[in-house]
Amino acid sequence: MSDIVTIGIAEIQVRQGDVRFRCVGIGSCVGVCLFDPIAKVTGFAHVMLPASFADHEPESPGKFADTAIPALIAAMEERGADPTRIVAAMGGGAQMFRILGGGESLDLGPRNLQAVEEQLNKYGIACVAADTGGNLGRTITFASDTGAVFVKANSREDRVLCELRAA
Amino acid sequence: MRTPSRLSEPTMTTLKNPLSLEDLVSNTPDLPVMPAAVMAVIRETESSTCSAQSVAKYLSQDPALAVRVLRLANSAFYSLRRQIMEVPEAVVVLGMRTVRNLAMIAGSYPWMSRELKGYELGPRELWAHSFGVAIGAEVVARRARLNESEAFSAGLLHNLGKVAMSVWLESRAEALFDAISKDEAPFDAVERQVLGFDHMQAGAHMAESWNLPKPLVRAIRFHHCPDVVENPEPLVDCVHIADFMAMSAGMNPGWDGLRYEISLNAFERMKISPDDITSLMDEFLLTYSRHDKLFEEHPKAA
Repeated sequence: MSDIVTIGIAEIQVRQGDVRFRCVGIGSCVGVCLFDPIAKVTGFAHVMLPASFADHEPESPGKFADTAIPALIAAMEERGADPTRIVAAMGGGAQMFRILGGGESLDLGPRNLQAVEEQLNKYGIACVAADTGGNLGRTITFASDTGAVFVKANSREDRVLCELRAA
Repeated sequence: MRTPSRLSEPTMTTLKNPLSLEDLVSNTPDLPVMPAAVMAVIRETESSTCSAQSVAKYLSQDPALAVRVLRLANSAFYSLRRQIMEVPEAVVVLGMRTVRNLAMIAGSYPWMSRELKGYELGPRELWAHSFGVAIGAEVVARRARLNESEAFSAGLLHNLGKVAMSVWLESRAEALFDAISKDEAPFDAVERQVLGFDHMQAGAHMAESWNLPKPLVRAIRFHHCPDVVENPEPLVDCVHIADFMAMSAGMNPGWDGLRYEISLNAFERMKISPDDITSLMDEFLLTYSRHDKLFEEHPKAA
């Protein structure tokens, strides 16, 4: 079995060949897994916030949805991926139990999810499955040898979310 | 770990006859203790007669703790040109407030890094969350021009009660799962339903028994309900906002996750506008990631 590569917050990672990616500690953030099943190129991002700031360059493109997805796709293309074959799965976007006094700005989870979806749509990438929302922390694991995406919510056991395969 | 006989009570008895906070303090095995030298340093830095010498004197009374503080002072985070060998030198070079924070880190890590099965938290997971909230509270306090060191202390200790409550929640697993699965109430309400009190009340009770400064006790007591305080307090709001940031960033992987209420009023009181939330999160995570170096040895100082 291939080594497990852990994805930290605001990080992006790309590998060609057999790999297991694990993204831990996903709260309101979104773990995005992109996979080209033919070239066997996997990209993973742990997106923290919806949009980068106009006044300064992000020190890490993986931090924001609007910089993470383009950077991830570009890095995957460098490893031989074809964007038209890439399929996606994602998880996260949790929110607080209740926000007293309203305030959609505090709904970071839904805002992050929407921003990631918009980016995937821009590139015409289909999201095969998603485990999102609620107020649970999540861990997402991807095994490129089978294409299986696993989700663990809080301490519950890993469960298969989907299998990423060629369309 | 020894299990108190009361833990085997049937669930219904538990619900009818909840524990008292006094029971919690007297019957919890391995109840956390903050070293006396750390408590003395906290009290000293709150007093008007505090000096670098007095802080160093109290800290030096606990040689094992002093060694741990010096190790943190010589970490890669501070990147000092030469190694600090003595506590008084650390106070002069880094300042009283910083040394107080380092003493709190050194004094709380041993018990705050424990596995807490009642909350489904693995080893060091409560620590990582608490340290995150300490850093977050410092970031909020800096923006609001409040005492950053006090905010750090309050953030670090805000979940003190969880360390005592874990074993009791674990023993009432059935009632806990039942209440969790209904998904009707925030987690602190679940705690009150299962045990008769929540981790805020438990932590404040312990903090009072430690003679921690009153503002710190109130920050622990009201960190999930800052609007309940009769006269809203900036320190409570700081910890509330920092806790929101840490939970959002996935730094609370236990049962409770993000299952808490958040008050927009706390943000308004701290003059953090809705448009500032993402930049505040960004600043928080940058500061948090830089602090990784606090636990790395500095090559020059080695």
